[in-house]
Amino acid sequence: MRIEFQTEGGIAHFPGLSQPVVIDSEALTAEAASELTRLVEAARFFERPTVVGAPRAGAADYRQYTITVEEGGRQHSIRLADPVEEPTLQQLLHFLQTQVRALRREKGS
Amino acid sequence: MCQHTSHRQPIFCILPPHIIDALVQRGTPRQRARALRTLAVDNTIRALRSTPRTIVPRGRRRPSMTAAEGQKQRTIYNAHNTETLPGDVVRTEGSPPSGDQAVDEAYDGLGATYDFYSLAYNRNSIDDEGMSMLATVHFNQDYNNAFWNGEQMVFGDGDGELFNRFTISLDVIGHELTHGVTEDEAQLIYFFQPGALNESVSDVFGSLVKQRVLNQTADQADWLIGAGLFAAGVNGVALRSMKAPGTAYDDPVLGKDPQPAHMNDYVRGFADNGGVHINSGIPNHAFYLAAMQIGGFAWEKAGRIWYQTLIDAQLRPSANFQRFASLTLANAEKLFGAGSPEHQAVSQAWNEVGIAVT
Repeated sequence: MRIEFQTEGGIAHFPGLSQPVVIDSEALTAEAASELTRLVEAARFFERPTVVGAPRAGAADYRQYTITVEEGGRQHSIRLADPVEEPTLQQLLHFLQTQVRALRREKGS
Repeated sequence: MCQHTSHRQPIFCILPPHIIDALVQRGTPRQRARALRTLAVDNTIRALRSTPRTIVPRGRRRPSMTAAEGQKQRTIYNAHNTETLPGDVVRTEGSPPSGDQAVDEAYDGLGATYDFYSLAYNRNSIDDEGMSMLATVHFNQDYNNAFWNGEQMVFGDGDGELFNRFTISLDVIGHELTHGVTEDEAQLIYFFQPGALNESVSDVFGSLVKQRVLNQTADQADWLIGAGLFAAGVNGVALRSMKAPGTAYDDPVLGKDPQPAHMNDYVRGFADNGGVHINSGIPNHAFYLAAMQIGGFAWEKAGRIWYQTLIDAQLRPSANFQRFASLTLANAEKLFGAGSPEHQAVSQAWNEVGIAVT
């Protein structure tokens, strides 16, 4: 499974934080890869519409997330905005954010 | 969305939604990125049209039965590191400090912002009718952001690696609350130039809230937005600099501050809702230049001109930089007279950032 994850917006635009990050399950530990598969399935990712929720009128500084999953010849993208209220999508998002932080630390070390 | 010229994306304007969906799912990475942005913009525009506004637009207000003249009403909630809003009430108006730093900073910051609008511009809270000010702290885990959700402010704790807690900067609290004021007044659309104006107005008044608390004149102020937000080790001083846009940070992880200070460097693109936090550097710098030229406390004259512009019925939700600049000049003339030092300072400030107004 290959995931492209991008975060945009927020109270400021940081060029370094808004670049898409690729998370390849083959580069993860077996445990993390298994957890990722479980989270994608639990979120019913491939059944979701492309845009999940929309910011309320007048909202500002919210972050937006784009997640693209490629798996077994299929590909699907969804776009989310803060606050993400659906628990399974929250869990998937947290997993991806944790991986991005780990990648960043790895790169910085 | 194709009727909104400022949002025009020629390819996608002529494509029906199912084709855009197909591009999202089966297009090249570039096509997918553009199609996703189109869908997101489209969705937001529809939300703007269909979501009932919490704040009644100007001109259609009714006298509030609950609004108490000149009394602030603050409620601070704790989300306990979840994404559930608003969370549990942890401090209400008049109650003593909670001992939780984020809770108390939010409470004090909302109080300072309320006092600023009340004393500087005789405005009674977000909607000028005594609207309650609500803020949630400890939102989500390691959350590196603060936002206005259309009804309330939301503050993350930061991850401790890049960012500290988002209540640490008073100007950030003033910035978020001002998004509510803008929503009540001009309702500047959160894309492209109107969105950058929306952001700039929040930076202007956020900075002025801080300047007033510190009792600083224009030349004493740091003109930074979000000073203190970066964690130790980040190479930067703040999120933005109104004095010198583009110089607030230059860090291996965050990248370099992308804000322009002049129209020659205006950034075109779809990232960040069409650069709302990027191109806001231009009107931010114009305000800084006007305030410095006028001198004294910036909220008294330059701030007054910008505030009168924000509440000016001629400022439409789709206003661009040029229109906003012209209205600031008209308001400077109304307040201080044609040819007055203030009028000249505003004209000169906009000209210096590449926006010609006379």
